[in-house]
Amino acid sequence: MSVVQVKRPQLRSSWYLPAILAGMVFTFITMLKNLFNKKRMPTLNYPEEQYQYSPRFKGNHVLTVKKDGDLRCTACMLCATACPADCISILASEDEDPKVEKFPISYEIDILRCVFCGFCEEACPVDAIRMGPEWQTPGANGDNFIYDIKQLAYRNNLNQGHGVPSVVEDEERHEAGI
Amino acid sequence: MVKCTINGIDIEVEAGTSVIEAFKQAGQDIAHYCWHPGLSVAGVCRLCMVEIEGNPRLQIACNTQVAEGMKVTNQSEMVKDAVKWGLDFHLINHPLDCPICDQAGECGLQDQYMHFGKYDPEMALSKVKKHKVVDLGERVVLDSERCILCSRCVRFTEEVSKSNELGIFNRGDRSEIGTFDGMPLNNKYSVNTVDICPVGALTSKDFRFRQRVWFLKDKPSVCTGCSTGCNIDVYFNKDGVWRVKPHHSDVNGYWMCDEGRDIYKAVNPITTDFVGERENKKAVKKPNRILSAHSYHDGKMEFISTAETVSSIELGSFSNPALIVTGQYSNEEYDSILGFWKSKAGGKNIFHWQNQPEQWQDFDGLLIRGDKNPNTKGLLASLEKHGLQAQSQLPSMEGFDFVLVLGPENQWVYDNISQVADQVSQAKKVIWLSACHLEKASQMPKHVTFVPAKTFVEKSGSFTNFEGKVQSFAMVDVFVEEALDLQQVTQWFAGERVTASLAHPWQSVHNEFIHERGEL
Ligand code: SF4
Ligand code: SF4
Ligand code: SF4
Ligand code: SF4
Ligand code: FES
Repeated sequence: MSVVQVKRPQLRSSWYLPAILAGMVFTFITMLKNLFNKKRMPTLNYPEEQYQYSPRFKGNHVLTVKKDGDLRCTACMLCATACPADCISILASEDEDPKVEKFPISYEIDILRCVFCGFCEEACPVDAIRMGPEWQTPGANGDNFIYDIKQLAYRNNLNQGHGVPSVVEDEERHEAGI
Repeated sequence: MVKCTINGIDIEVEAGTSVIEAFKQAGQDIAHYCWHPGLSVAGVCRLCMVEIEGNPRLQIACNTQVAEGMKVTNQSEMVKDAVKWGLDFHLINHPLDCPICDQAGECGLQDQYMHFGKYDPEMALSKVKKHKVVDLGERVVLDSERCILCSRCVRFTEEVSKSNELGIFNRGDRSEIGTFDGMPLNNKYSVNTVDICPVGALTSKDFRFRQRVWFLKDKPSVCTGCSTGCNIDVYFNKDGVWRVKPHHSDVNGYWMCDEGRDIYKAVNPITTDFVGERENKKAVKKPNRILSAHSYHDGKMEFISTAETVSSIELGSFSNPALIVTGQYSNEEYDSILGFWKSKAGGKNIFHWQNQPEQWQDFDGLLIRGDKNPNTKGLLASLEKHGLQAQSQLPSMEGFDFVLVLGPENQWVYDNISQVADQVSQAKKVIWLSACHLEKASQMPKHVTFVPAKTFVEKSGSFTNFEGKVQSFAMVDVFVEEALDLQQVTQWFAGERVTASLAHPWQSVHNEFIHERGEL
């Protein structure tokens, strides 16, 4: 064991008041600038003003719909397989329509676990899931962050609740013999 | 024995072995669809092409016998090219169904393509459309677009089940599998066609869309459906067991019966959001609770019996205790409980509860036997070993002050279960071990206590089948933590501390098996 002599700094450099004063002067000047030249103010008055990200921003998921308004998703679970956060749970079932055959009776994303990597979007073979531009989605409790089909596909801001149509159309593919 | 060279490896095989079997014995990969070790040779898929030295043309390995000194390879450019084009032809009219196809993940086409194909398709024409989602019978659905016409399923109904329901109809690229009019695929072995179908053309109604196979892991076990004791693979994940499939063995060959496919339903706790008949923890804990979770130690959960119950199950204190056994437990369990009964209760009043013993000798000629207990032989052997006698008629239970019932795991084969329940409840105190939820349980009087018993996937042990063959099986996973096996029941009665394993320690991970099942 040894005793180390610590060299304390001199009184002058630990005297912090000048730096605080300098800071306050800077704040005051900035405030005056903002008061007299509002246009160049660098911040936004959130939430009245909001920043628009590019449409390619990877925000909350959207499940696309077919022409008839049904979910595009075929419940193949490739997104759930690819998801590194393990936050997608799907329950598949047999559709009455033999042309559809398989569809999800339940599709849930635990958005609080999601890391917004976009792997689900990439894994999907039928353009059924996309990352939308929304990112401000508050919730009152944990329940609000488990997004179900209603929220993912038919929330109000997606085409007034009618959902976003997919670019892939089964009928056309079928007729083309794919 | 015949000597031959497979891909440069010298091996000796028995005379009459086909080249494809020699490839398997040499551990070499070879593409094939129509050949199946349990069926006759058809030679229709033309994928198992090999080059035999001295022979200018390629031959199919499945229909060529090994001759002395034969030098065979499937690694030459010519073979690779042939297999590639063979695959291309198979895939010409194949739909892009993988996302909704149950076979994806264990599909012969996917596997062979990744192994031997990997070409760019050169087909520009539209695909031929065929029937999809055809209801073939009670348990099987057909999608003829996915079918590659390997004829395995047709040969199965011809040669194994001998029911001849399936056939190939039409010609050329319009050929389709189908059933003859008014003759659905309803034989007792129909789901085997689903197993042997190398693609997703035949799918099982029971398993359809419930899981993707890469979310499942499989472990070998023994079927408890009847005394044949077919070897099976149990497919499971943290939500429960999802299906069983036959595992090749001398006992059952490559097959199992359709009824046996349902045994997994008894394993799943009721909480799971699909078929499950088992009492879950909460249900078990409610009325006649005798066990309480005590503490967690190194991944093990310990149970101690509550003091009150233990004192009331001091076997020696009963003047006239009785033991009712069924043939549904393992040899090791019988040894432990019968040994205990002999030492503590003098080995008296043992009753063998039998379900339709008059049918026990029935046999359908392939696998199904009338004795619907996996271990009747083992029970009789264990009784004999301990020098005990069991009566096969259940008398009136009124005179007994304690009855221990080792209830059946597959209760649906015990058609007199509710009579026996009524009969047994006449005794003063009853402990009933039950792996499944018993319909009558809620109406039973208070002195009948149900104790959850382990199912065959939750314990290790062995069954003795109809011919006296002892087959051991290992634990697959724990689904109901509170469940006890008979060794644990013995420990509990002896006043010892009972330790049970925790259910799936890996349960925080959803996709836990992906990396074992294959590359993504
Ligand atoms: S964005 Fe990534 S983390 Fe979120 S659901 Fe999709 S795959 Fe999972
Ligand atoms: S990958 Fe696409 S089609 Fe498949 S389950 Fe996910 S969203 Fe549905
Ligand atoms: S049979 Fe195989 S290749 Fe064909 S759709 Fe099914 S999984 Fe895909
Ligand atoms: S249904 Fe399956 S097993 Fe039967 S011929 Fe077609 S691919 Fe082969
Ligand atoms: S396996 Fe030989 S032709 Fe099909």
